[in-house]
Amino acid sequence: MTHLDRETVQRYADGELADAQGAEAHLRECASCANQVVGEMQLKRAVRDAARTAPPDVVRMRVQRRISSTAGRSLLPAAAAAVIAFIIGGLFAAGSIASRWSTRELADLHATILASASPVDVLSSDRHTVKPWFEGKIPFSFPIPELNGTPFRVIGGRVVYAHQQPAAYVMIGKGNHRLSLFVSRVTLPLRGMDGYDAITWRSGGLCYVLVGDVPRADLEALRQLF
Amino acid sequence: MSEQPFEELAMPLFASLYGYARWLTREPHEAEDLVQETYLKALRGFDSFRQGTNFRAWMFRILRNTFLTSRAGLKETAEVDEEIEDGSTPETQFMNRASGEALRRAIENLPLIFREVLLLSDVENMSYKEISEALSIPIGTVTSRLMRARQRVRKALEDIR
Repeated sequence: MTHLDRETVQRYADGELADAQGAEAHLRECASCANQVVGEMQLKRAVRDAARTAPPDVVRMRVQRRISSTAGRSLLPAAAAAVIAFIIGGLFAAGSIASRWSTRELADLHATILASASPVDVLSSDRHTVKPWFEGKIPFSFPIPELNGTPFRVIGGRVVYAHQQPAAYVMIGKGNHRLSLFVSRVTLPLRGMDGYDAITWRSGGLCYVLVGDVPRADLEALRQLF
Repeated sequence: MSEQPFEELAMPLFASLYGYARWLTREPHEAEDLVQETYLKALRGFDSFRQGTNFRAWMFRILRNTFLTSRAGLKETAEVDEEIEDGSTPETQFMNRASGEALRRAIENLPLIFREVLLLSDVENMSYKEISEALSIPIGTVTSRLMRARQRVRKALEDIR
């Protein structure tokens, strides 16, 4: 079998190979090519970790204020807006990202969390670490299934506020994709999901919503594990 | 298609756009000005944005065009050799030894055309197609520039080893 060329190694690592089966068959057999793919992925991850920058909250607030006033939709006097910005900034600093998102749709939350510099507060692939972390932080408990041996893996979790209620957020990985699982005691409506697929179900008095840019069948497959 | 207001679409991208601006300008104050200008331009031009097309790529494109026409950006547009060199293939293990600081310096020293594809791919997790939209270049160019960018970073890290 011929080795993968450099472009194929790159495209494979970037998740850009339309038909990856041939490449994967070769990678199972060939340590040298597999080594190159791993090297490429390591570099990608290292670049991501090294290049991440968190914007200062004050800059975010300044821009937010500019566009609100330019759009003519801000009814608040500047002084009141500044106070509110200060309070929200404080919440951010205190680590309680919370109320800022209370009215946001889940799709926004999903996109925002994935794009943020530190998307999860507890980072662990072990469900036995993630599950207890939520204890005392949210007013309910919920099961996280064993994902070993499935295409899915737990990445981490955090507490979010959705529809004025604390909700558990669990980030789940599948290949290069990251899915968001929201668990709440109130029903979380699936509005404004454009661009993402989402499914929801209820179990044990809790509402589960799974959001991601993977085929719906994958979401269903993950749901079956709960 | 629901018509979402600008702020709702644009503010969730703030951290990404700011991070990208930091890496383009290499300077916090200029990054802030660049992001601010990007948001104001985008807001003014929002009517011309077609809902349902890629908003993220659209925002990044505005940011980049704004940067390229700024004083700092004009200095960046020198001709760069885009040939792919031989040698320096991906290998495992050495990345573990490379420090974040060395890597940051290697990224910072990349010519703009390589730095931007690398950041959009690896930090923003954009697909080649999305990068090609954000930078207005063909997908083939995205692929080759990305290869070149990673080669240069690897080379820079090897040189300091």
